[in-house]
Amino acid sequence: MTLIQDTAVATSAPAARPRRRSGRREGRTAFFFLLPSLLGVLLFLVLPIIASLVLSFTNWKLLGKPAFVGFQNYIRLFTADPQFWTVLRNTLFFTVEYLVLNIIISVGLATWIASLKRGQRWFRVVFFLPTFTPGIAVAIVWMLIFAPGGFFDFIMKSLSLGVPNLLTDQTLAMQAVIIVSLWANVGYNTVLFNAALDMVPPSYLEAAKIDGASAWDRFWKIRLPLISPTLFFGTVMTAITSLQVFDQIYVMTRGGPGNATATLGYAIYQRGFQNFQMGYASSIAWVMFALIMALTALQFWLQRKWVHYDN
Amino acid sequence: MKFTHQLAALALAGTAILSTASFAQEQVNLTWQMWGDEKDTPLFQSLADLVTAEYPNIKVTPQFSGWTDYWTRLPVLASSGQIADLVAMQSMRMPSFYGVLEPLDPFIAADNFDKSAFESSIISGLSADGVQYALPYDVGPWLMFYNRDKFAEAGLAEPKPDWTFDDFKAAAEKLTSGDNYGYAVQAFDFVAQPVALGAEYFNDANAFDLTNPGYEAAVGKLVDLVAVAKASPVFASGAGAQTGSGRFAAGNAAMVIDGPWSLLTTQASVGFKVGVAPLPRGEGPSRYITAGSGWGISAASQHKDEAFKALKVLTGPKAAEILASAGRALPGRLAEQKFWYDVAAKDIAGARETLQYSFDHSTPFRLNESWNEFENLLTQYLPLALNGDNTTDAVLADIQSQLP
Repeated sequence: MTLIQDTAVATSAPAARPRRRSGRREGRTAFFFLLPSLLGVLLFLVLPIIASLVLSFTNWKLLGKPAFVGFQNYIRLFTADPQFWTVLRNTLFFTVEYLVLNIIISVGLATWIASLKRGQRWFRVVFFLPTFTPGIAVAIVWMLIFAPGGFFDFIMKSLSLGVPNLLTDQTLAMQAVIIVSLWANVGYNTVLFNAALDMVPPSYLEAAKIDGASAWDRFWKIRLPLISPTLFFGTVMTAITSLQVFDQIYVMTRGGPGNATATLGYAIYQRGFQNFQMGYASSIAWVMFALIMALTALQFWLQRKWVHYDN
Repeated sequence: MKFTHQLAALALAGTAILSTASFAQEQVNLTWQMWGDEKDTPLFQSLADLVTAEYPNIKVTPQFSGWTDYWTRLPVLASSGQIADLVAMQSMRMPSFYGVLEPLDPFIAADNFDKSAFESSIISGLSADGVQYALPYDVGPWLMFYNRDKFAEAGLAEPKPDWTFDDFKAAAEKLTSGDNYGYAVQAFDFVAQPVALGAEYFNDANAFDLTNPGYEAAVGKLVDLVAVAKASPVFASGAGAQTGSGRFAAGNAAMVIDGPWSLLTTQASVGFKVGVAPLPRGEGPSRYITAGSGWGISAASQHKDEAFKALKVLTGPKAAEILASAGRALPGRLAEQKFWYDVAAKDIAGARETLQYSFDHSTPFRLNESWNEFENLLTQYLPLALNGDNTTDAVLADIQSQLP
């Protein structure tokens, strides 16, 4: 007994050391294999992020040498910039309206497609098409439709509807941007939610049906809770991208008319690449980053209330 | 051992210096960056060839990028040290970008170069704080393009060089009916037209002063033409720069403010006769701003002397003749402007009289380093006044509050 134990100890002890050594060797090999992508991440992700943080404390104007200005950019942003609070309000307004409409429409479309007896694949492709169309191209086509005297105005005039031009109206311009964003991006969530709906075990739905649950109840009490993890993922991702909205605004309105559609993403571009205030633009970028982090954290906190995981 | 090392190093350095020195005498390759299209390559290559013909050891290679990209790339190329030796510059961008260019005054003085051969307004346009940074290849005042066919149809007399804003307004209103407009306003009109009316957007210290009564009144006149008389469509902030000219070309608007740089391409692309007139004046005498472009030497260039030699040829009489005859540019050189009038623009009514009248009444185009911001804000905010959402004075006050 002791002999066996002793030999076991004796054999296992020397065996453990080479294993650790080989583990270290494997780790080193793994490190060298990871090195190319690690370098890429460092060079193109970590370094620029650090650089933009440093820049946000300077007055760099792209040409010439930057000078350190402390928190001056942030102070200017929160106290002196006449546009910042409007820009922030516009960004949140866009995000809330777009997010709510996007989720409602995509869940609706996904449920409708899932209920179809035939042609499901065809509809999925149709609704997914705009997702792989370049955003700029989509925005340009819509801008031509909405431009003063364009196709949209022509339709409204033919129908004798007194709708003013969307792009030159202060309240409607943001709605035009939202319409375009929805058209371009609803398909992604639709396909995502549709796939989740297809994963709901039919036996649950059949059982509920036998027990007398109406279609409405089956949707709210079985399907929706079962796809809630996917719904949560879709909501978080859509919220993040909508806080960063830029291309539609760049093409369609340039933040106008007035500041009706000026959002954080556009403000960064305007300050940085039109006015060449790189330091100031970097500080806005960090405020945007903080905002996205905070809202995403809030969503993760809220998910405990409505997301159901099976395990 | 040490000594031989030093000797070897010295020898190496010596050959390096010798080889670069002899290389410089043999061949200098200059890069030449400008906005434009790949299809412009043969034209500008023929200019580059003029340089090699005159100085066989200098070879110039043109590089193109699109107009909008050019201005985004320029500061990036400059700060990353990849800027070309010869750099295209437009007069309105000079206050933002003169830092990337080498002052030309020492070269001009050393060479006894004659600046008076160029139109004076563009020589000052391509300088900053009294220092010359580029030499011009083209120049032009903002003009009123008009549709001659529509004027004839409406029984209107074509505008005279000294026509007034009231004449212009009457014509625009008469030419407006249904979906056809007499005029299509664009954002830049709120710079060129107020100046023609005698207004100033700057104070004496060259800072923005948009709320002065003169500028407010002049902008108000244009706004009324759109918001009250409805003689022009409203432009949208997103596509502000294009739609006015687009409507004119489509025959949907009878007048538009533009410059000689787009006159020939406009005439070539439309199915009606284009005429040009100076911008309408106010009560006082006429006053017109001009803009133009030229080429300068990058401050980072390793071959500044050769670059200046090349620059003299590229902005010289022969090059001006080539660009003028091809209709590419109304030359900044006065003597060669005749090639543009006589060859390229011979079919355009009033081109010569209008341009000469405008040059005779040109006024310095006042700019500062926030000019880009100002133009962007005009495009972004003016639609509010044009569609009656806000008053002219409130919009100008809003723009003013966002400018330094």
